[in-house]
Amino acid sequence: MTDRDWVRCAQDGDEEAFAQLVRRHSGGLHRAVARILADDSEAWDVVQMAFLKAWQRLDRYDPRYKFSTWLYRIGTNLAIDLLRSRSSRERIHKTHTEHRLRLVGAGEGAGSRADTNEADGILGQLVGVLTPQQRSAFVLREMQGLDTAEVAEVLGCSATTVRNHIFQARKALRGEMRLRFPEYLPASERG
Amino acid sequence: MNCTEFRELLGSYLEESLTEERRRMFRRHLCECTSCRERAVSEDPTLLFAAAPETPVSQADIEGCAAAVTAQIRQQRLARGLRRRRHPWLAVAAAVMIMIAGGLSWKVMLGGVETSIPTAAEIHLQDDARSIPPTVEVEMTGEDVRVYQFAADEDDDTAVYFVVNPGMEL
Repeated sequence: MTDRDWVRCAQDGDEEAFAQLVRRHSGGLHRAVARILADDSEAWDVVQMAFLKAWQRLDRYDPRYKFSTWLYRIGTNLAIDLLRSRSSRERIHKTHTEHRLRLVGAGEGAGSRADTNEADGILGQLVGVLTPQQRSAFVLREMQGLDTAEVAEVLGCSATTVRNHIFQARKALRGEMRLRFPEYLPASERG
Repeated sequence: MNCTEFRELLGSYLEESLTEERRRMFRRHLCECTSCRERAVSEDPTLLFAAAPETPVSQADIEGCAAAVTAQIRQQRLARGLRRRRHPWLAVAAAVMIMIAGGLSWKVMLGGVETSIPTAAEIHLQDDARSIPPTVEVEMTGEDVRVYQFAADEDDDTAVYFVVNPGMEL
């Protein structure tokens, strides 16, 4: 069955049909939200809230769009609200200090290890330099691989604004990585 | 996509000017080719994030999420059902009952004697005790009729007369 079939059943009040949608999309949504929030467990709370909101608003779902896009929109908005409401400065600083300790001696061949913990760990420390919108756009586009049009739909902005968010985010991250993770610079620039 | 094409498209990727299809091919090559990834990340360290593999999510976490969402949906439905069953007139009836109870309590407090509301049977017995026994006022022999007068001690002016056929008396 497709997402639309499950959605139709869920709109008729079928809870099990909606549970199928949760099983199908919670993993992907969690990955995106966890990267935006830089917090794995908090991301599960947001994912649950997003599905609950989706259930409550199922009658407003427009089948012209992908269910996943609509769901990502709800989840991303919740994550952005959370980012705006919490004062994460201290937490990011704390995580940064801990991660620096783990990275001691990890300078050689840095680019060759594209493992999950490495990229997600570094992003977790650097996302604080990005605005919630830039974070969301960068994660959805660069890490989750969504199309520009999809990201625009999720964030409720134009494709041009998405490109601008990505450009600004990349610029800010590049600058921070040069300062905080010089092991990722080309050998000629490391000094 | 081969390594040469990849290197040619690196700048376009960073400028967000590739078509979605070319972009997907570029990203696939970035993840699969170690040497191209090393070189690309050394040129622009932010490409490390594009090459990050998907974080695995356990099936237990997914099932836990589905169970939690379903439970919350059921809880909401139950709460909504209970709200529907409540009727506004019940609240009005409850308010009226409270007012009556309050009024009676106030009356009892002012009276200072009665502590409970007498039942109808008790009122009847009390009335009987207060009333003088009925007396036969007129015995109309031969007419098969008796006239009874009922009067209270406190009020001699008021009397109630009954004309009764003696054959029908209990």
